[in-house]
Amino acid sequence: MVFLTLSCWIRSRGPDRYWRVQEVLKNARHFRGRKNRCFSLAVKAVRRAFVYATKARKAKRHYMRQLWISRIAAASREHGMKYPALIHNLVKTNVQVNRRILSDLAITEPRSFLSLAALAKARREEGFRAALGDGKEPAGVFSRIVQSH
Amino acid sequence: MSSFTKSAQQWATFARSWFLIDARMQPPGKIATMCSVRLQGKHKPIYHALSDCGDHVVVMNTRHIAFSGNKWEQKVYSSHTGYPGGFKQVTAAQLHHKDPKAIIKLAVYGMLPRNLHRRTMMQRLHLFPDDVLPDDILENLTEELPQPRVIPRKLSEYTQEERDAFPMLWTPPEDYRMK
Repeated sequence: MVFLTLSCWIRSRGPDRYWRVQEVLKNARHFRGRKNRCFSLAVKAVRRAFVYATKARKAKRHYMRQLWISRIAAASREHGMKYPALIHNLVKTNVQVNRRILSDLAITEPRSFLSLAALAKARREEGFRAALGDGKEPAGVFSRIVQSH
Repeated sequence: MSSFTKSAQQWATFARSWFLIDARMQPPGKIATMCSVRLQGKHKPIYHALSDCGDHVVVMNTRHIAFSGNKWEQKVYSSHTGYPGGFKQVTAAQLHHKDPKAIIKLAVYGMLPRNLHRRTMMQRLHLFPDDVLPDDILENLTEELPQPRVIPRKLSEYTQEERDAFPMLWTPPEDYRMK
């Protein structure tokens, strides 16, 4: 016999299995059912959750832009303009404010958003006058801005 | 750049308003789009799908809506009772006669997003066939929305002076026989 004492007979496969299991289970604690307690079910669920989280980081940017656009559209309709007209006229006046800031302005700074909407409306009227008029009227103030690109 | 602590707190931001729409001589589809936008809360810059920011909408005179074209006879509303042989198809005119609120209700139901909030939003839509509204709803109303369609005037509503002042393309001769 090689193993002569009790302490040599015990097959301990390493002291840190508990910690390795807990590392996985701590990510599964808010799940429903046995997947928040039992390791073999939790491992599969945690892997799937991490895959969803990775895919969602790209989708979040998509979703946030869609939300900003719908908020800006709602706010511009309050001021009598539609979203495509607002954005096109802000681009024509070289106002490079992005949709995130526009939606924040619409919520917390309504007067600043109103002034931007009024600027876009004025530029739009000038565009109509330039297109429909016969060229005898002077070019408008807002369309004198040269685009940078 | 404003910070959350420095901007003034607007207490009534998430208040629910009550809108009134008069549907007399209006196309039901346009009424339904206005209703669905306000029931979802998409007319507010603070819109979010989860924040329950929709408002109440009261539509009156639904009995007097006006479809364009021949839709009263040609538009068909289908349903199935679930039993065999229970496929029912009703024209818009028949459905309107049976229930004057059903056309707008079905139109708004189809325009709302297909999720669990749809039933709650439909409960916030109040339809009345005539312009008689109950007192508790009258007390809650905050704003009336303008009608989407300009109602054209009937010939009988023009005065004789306006009729004479209207330009004529040609004057018929004396012995011309008009039908």
